[in-house]
Amino acid sequence: METLLLPSELSIYTAAELHPQWLAWADRSTGEPQAARADGAGVDQVDGAGVQLLVALQRCLAARGCTLQLQAPSGPLRDACAALGLAGWLTALQPANAEAA
Amino acid sequence: MSTDLDFIAEALPAFLSEAEEQIENLEALLLQLEHQPGDAELLNALFRCAHTVKGSAGLFGLDAVVDFTHHVETLLQRLREGQVQLTPALSTLLLRCNDQIRVLVSEAGGQAEDDEAVSVRAGLVAELQAAAGIEAAMPMSTAAGTEPVSAAPLRPWHVSVAFGPEVFRNGMDPLAVLNYVRGLGSMPHMVCDVDGIPPLDELDPENCHLAFIFSLVTEASRAQIEDAFSFVREDCQLHVLSPGSTPAQFADLIDAMPGNPRLGEILVTAGAISPAQLQQGLRSQQAAAALGEPALLGQLLTEQTGLAPQVVDAALRKQREQRRSDAAPTTPDDQRYIRVQAQRLDAVINLLGELVIAGAGAELLARQTGQRPLMEANGQISRLIEEIRNGTLQLRMVPIGETFARFRRVVRDTAAELGKSVQLDIVGGETELDKSVVERIADPLMHLVRNALDHGLESAEQREAAGKPAQGRLTLSAHHEAGSIVIRITDDGRGIQRRKVLERAWSRGLVEPGVVPEDAAILRLIFEPGFSTAEAVTNLSGRGVGMDVVRSNIEALRGSVLLDSVEGQGSCIEIRLPLTLAIIDGFLVGVGVSRFIFPLDAVVEVIEGSANDVTLDTRGRGVVELRGHVLPVVSLRTLYGIDGPAASRGSVVVLKAGHTRFGVLVDALLGQHQTVIKPLGRLLRSLRGMAGSSILGNGEVALIFDVPALSQLAAEPAPRKPATDPVAARAYL
Repeated sequence: METLLLPSELSIYTAAELHPQWLAWADRSTGEPQAARADGAGVDQVDGAGVQLLVALQRCLAARGCTLQLQAPSGPLRDACAALGLAGWLTALQPANAEAA
Repeated sequence: MSTDLDFIAEALPAFLSEAEEQIENLEALLLQLEHQPGDAELLNALFRCAHTVKGSAGLFGLDAVVDFTHHVETLLQRLREGQVQLTPALSTLLLRCNDQIRVLVSEAGGQAEDDEAVSVRAGLVAELQAAAGIEAAMPMSTAAGTEPVSAAPLRPWHVSVAFGPEVFRNGMDPLAVLNYVRGLGSMPHMVCDVDGIPPLDELDPENCHLAFIFSLVTEASRAQIEDAFSFVREDCQLHVLSPGSTPAQFADLIDAMPGNPRLGEILVTAGAISPAQLQQGLRSQQAAAALGEPALLGQLLTEQTGLAPQVVDAALRKQREQRRSDAAPTTPDDQRYIRVQAQRLDAVINLLGELVIAGAGAELLARQTGQRPLMEANGQISRLIEEIRNGTLQLRMVPIGETFARFRRVVRDTAAELGKSVQLDIVGGETELDKSVVERIADPLMHLVRNALDHGLESAEQREAAGKPAQGRLTLSAHHEAGSIVIRITDDGRGIQRRKVLERAWSRGLVEPGVVPEDAAILRLIFEPGFSTAEAVTNLSGRGVGMDVVRSNIEALRGSVLLDSVEGQGSCIEIRLPLTLAIIDGFLVGVGVSRFIFPLDAVVEVIEGSANDVTLDTRGRGVVELRGHVLPVVSLRTLYGIDGPAASRGSVVVLKAGHTRFGVLVDALLGQHQTVIKPLGRLLRSLRGMAGSSILGNGEVALIFDVPALSQLAAEPAPRKPATDPVAARAYL
């Protein structure tokens, strides 16, 4: 199982580039017995478009019956999600909580 | 190598045209505001327009515009916050200031102004400051929806915002906007509508699908809260619900909510219940479900928290709507527009004209070869050319409503000046016509409207004395009819006074004194040059340069104008214009070796082989019977002195011009022909009855008839010398 490393810049400037890469990863990860895992430690710059992309990824996997787990979200990522009312959503994605959800 | 200055010089025309639009918008909104003084949406829109003009002008360093617009903005802001009330005088001041902004923008970066202009502007600024400043010193007026400005307490507001798809592309970030809004106070509850974001495989990453509902505790006013969204205002749906809202208002807010938030979230963020109460409700729901008794969340919440059922109903309705619309396919975006340079469009249309001619030539050659496949292929090409032609001509069409709307201001100001009360109705503003026609019809229309206001409509006292309502009515209407656009200016004023017109005509020598022509002829006299019955020449009209110039302007557009009037009741001016100037469907006929074209929409019918049924007099005029009616007929051969052997079986083409019908005698009927209109050369322009020329497929030139002019020519009484000198005619042809 390959972990998706979230890039240091997760914003409108990189969204178009990341879109096909993430789609390909999602295709590869669906069908694996364990949850699909992503790592958010490297995220440094993030904006609305970036968070939107992340939400879209989670929803895509969920629609395919696959849970997204996001470990170690960085400070900037947590702040952005909180500012957009997605603090709870982000917490629910973290590995310790994912099983409970 | 281009510098910043080069860039600015290049971008300036775009700024000028966009600023023009904003200024037009401002005027329309101001006029609307007069009827709806407290309307918050209008006031906000007004502020944004002024703000945009100021901002863009700042980019170009147009300090005069920025400074002046700033004062206007200040006053608009006071209006928005309810600290100043809109009075008619204030409205007039704002309209004048808008005019001033227009002047300043058009002078953008131009020469230094003269002292008079500067002092006029200073005067307006003083008035603006007085209007904005004085009110602020007085005690606060309690207009609906105002909040006290001093010592503002913290109050909870409920905000719902759905950012539109273009927000990212326009350089905005919802995260930044919300952070800014948060700076106004605090946001105890914030929910993002996650379900509104498509899954990754359906998402276009550069489209924005973010929507939020949150409560905001702040001492800011509504205007300040809305201002925080000003950069994205055009791209989002924003609802701000003030504190202390009734259940009905909550219900409205829920109805207007974006996306598909879950019921509980809706209610929490609307502040109707607290998160704790929601948790309680959810637990009860799960418990009930476990017992096999499914309970509705809404019901539970009502029972447990005393939530007004109305609010729950609204939330449930919202959910149902969402589910239903999820099943249905999404509707496409609003119509998108592209800005196109008029010159480029004209160039394309010219090429299209050449294509039509070339296509006709090819079709002719193909027919001569007699080869079926080739003829069919050419037929296909001709059909496609026709479609492209129709599509391209459509591109130049604009609704006449834009021109009509300009008259609102004119009517308002002129009526005020004259001390008359007038209501302007506009019907059929969506009727489209060619852009160049629109531009050229604006001035004649303006004159006619001013005429109606000045002479047609009476003052309130005169109207009441005549038993009419004190307010006069002026109607501008437009509709399509058989390939033309018909524009009518109707008023319910005093109508054309035949007696006065006659007296003026007698004194001017236009008619023999004492002679009373028929009614229609009396009305036509008004269009004669130098004619005016106004006792006092006002600065609006009555200078006698009006009606004949109006008529010739309209006729230059291949249109016609007709006046109808009932004394004491009102008048109606009807203008007919062709829909397009460039390419028309034509009907080709032959007389001798000459070729002529009639615009197809002027052709009523054709009576083949009937020429022998018509007895002509020496001037080539006669009549023919058509289904019980008598139709006047004129022979083109005689009228234009055309040579050549007469055909054994000529035909009569029945034409219509306005409300009259007449026939023309021709030798040969040559069928329909897509006609590209080329203007007549200088030599031929004096040839009466002709609107232009066209090149046929075989390279010959055909003259295009101006049917209304032809009908007048045909109806003329016998002149002292022949209408056409055959020798001279041949020299022209």
